[in-house]
Amino acid sequence: MWQVAPAGDRALLVTVGRTIDPSLLGQVLALDKALAGRRLSGLISTVPAYASLLCHYDPGVTDAARLEASIMKLEGHVDTAMALGSVVDVPTRYDGPDLARVVVETNLTPAGVIEMHAGREYLVYCVGFAPGFTYCGALPDQLSVPRLASPRLRVSAGSIGIAGRQTGIYAVESPGGWNLIGRTALRLFDPAADPPARFKPGDRLRFIPTS
Amino acid sequence: MIEVVDARRWTTVQDRGRPGLERFGIPPGGAADWFAAAVANRIVGNREDAALLECTAAGPTLRFDTDAVIAVTGGHAAGGTSWQQVRMASGSSLAVGAIAPGLRTYIAIRGGIDVPLVLGSRSFCQRGTFGGGFGRPLQRGDRLAVARLGEHQPLAAPWPESHRLPVRGPWEVRIIAGPQQDAFVEDALQRLTATACRVTPEIDRMGLRLATPGLRLQPREIVTVPMTAGAIQVTPSGGLIVLHVDHQSTGGYPAIATVINADLPLLAQARPGDTVRFRSVDHAEATRAHRRLTGWLELDP
Repeated sequence: MWQVAPAGDRALLVTVGRTIDPSLLGQVLALDKALAGRRLSGLISTVPAYASLLCHYDPGVTDAARLEASIMKLEGHVDTAMALGSVVDVPTRYDGPDLARVVVETNLTPAGVIEMHAGREYLVYCVGFAPGFTYCGALPDQLSVPRLASPRLRVSAGSIGIAGRQTGIYAVESPGGWNLIGRTALRLFDPAADPPARFKPGDRLRFIPTS
Repeated sequence: MIEVVDARRWTTVQDRGRPGLERFGIPPGGAADWFAAAVANRIVGNREDAALLECTAAGPTLRFDTDAVIAVTGGHAAGGTSWQQVRMASGSSLAVGAIAPGLRTYIAIRGGIDVPLVLGSRSFCQRGTFGGGFGRPLQRGDRLAVARLGEHQPLAAPWPESHRLPVRGPWEVRIIAGPQQDAFVEDALQRLTATACRVTPEIDRMGLRLATPGLRLQPREIVTVPMTAGAIQVTPSGGLIVLHVDHQSTGGYPAIATVINADLPLLAQARPGDTVRFRSVDHAEATRAHRRLTGWLELDP
């Protein structure tokens, strides 16, 4: 069941589920696409993430009730199959400051951590938090470690972290609480590029170890 | 040109921001006190999208190499005359100095600050370190060019006091419940609105951390969701973070309620130690509150 709730006086949040699941992301992206195609009057922009879609609207043109009705009409009528693009390679140096601790916490060897992290395809669930930050899943259970108890004030651009069942790439320098196991030279955010972020939800990527 | 003689702590170039790019992780940005910024542009006859200077806690000293018409609005600046057009002769200086009461002061210059558009806006984005002309706050020695976005006549009379927002707490801030109200126990919102929250020193354009003496809300965990300015996030330890214009585009703490757009300027002027009380309203009241401010901006005082 989709749920619609106000996010202030000029946005609605549509929630399609409460877990991290490719089929929920499929619904979010399908709704996003359907709304973009319909050009509802007063709908300004949308923001997809995992299992929800934020819809910014102009309250001078439409209102929450009208927009909610238009959205709920689409439930069950959108094509939730995700278009599968090519898998993007992310060259990765596995030399992060938390790698040694992750090795201890997971009872793996350094080579085992790398093999497990690099040896699979990930789905991009969300670009958010900071410009270009790319949230991917799902990590194998064995590689699941909690976030840092206290976040670092500075994580450099290109850092690759893991937390829970997720792995993510910091696109710009920012604070961060993920366990840093590697870094990439791939530029994920460029304000002069169109689009400015390298990845979008629904994309797929894999990490390629480099020395 | 205008030369920055003394930058003070945190002066940046801002306009109405770059909303609509949150899907790339980019905050909407723009002037934190959107109303005071809009009035400053209105006084000097600028277009609504003209860029101006936002000063936090203290304002810069500027030297004008050219004749200029300026306006200073927002929090009370120690130097300069506020809320009316001021003519600066070539060679003269403006020293804004300490700001109090209030936290943020805006300096509009007729024509607007001329810095390149980045992703559709001249605003400095702190998290992305781009925009605002320099990709950073202003520094001593920076030189600012003036654009040609002054399309109307400057206002002859000072902006009426009756058409300004308060710049001094205690603050009553209106909220709309949600979007993650269901992550909390039933009476959580009621308990929040009954609490006098205190502004901590941890405040910036990204958000304000509030202490809630005597109140501890324990939300359940949620999957990361898109966030808006005004979202009142509750952290696992029970503290509040109210997101502001440079907010993270998504967040993992549930938002029990969201500050209405018309009251975001109040939080832009709140200082550490101030008291904030939240009042729950409906969409109709939020819309009325917003129309009241935009109505003031359209008036010819």
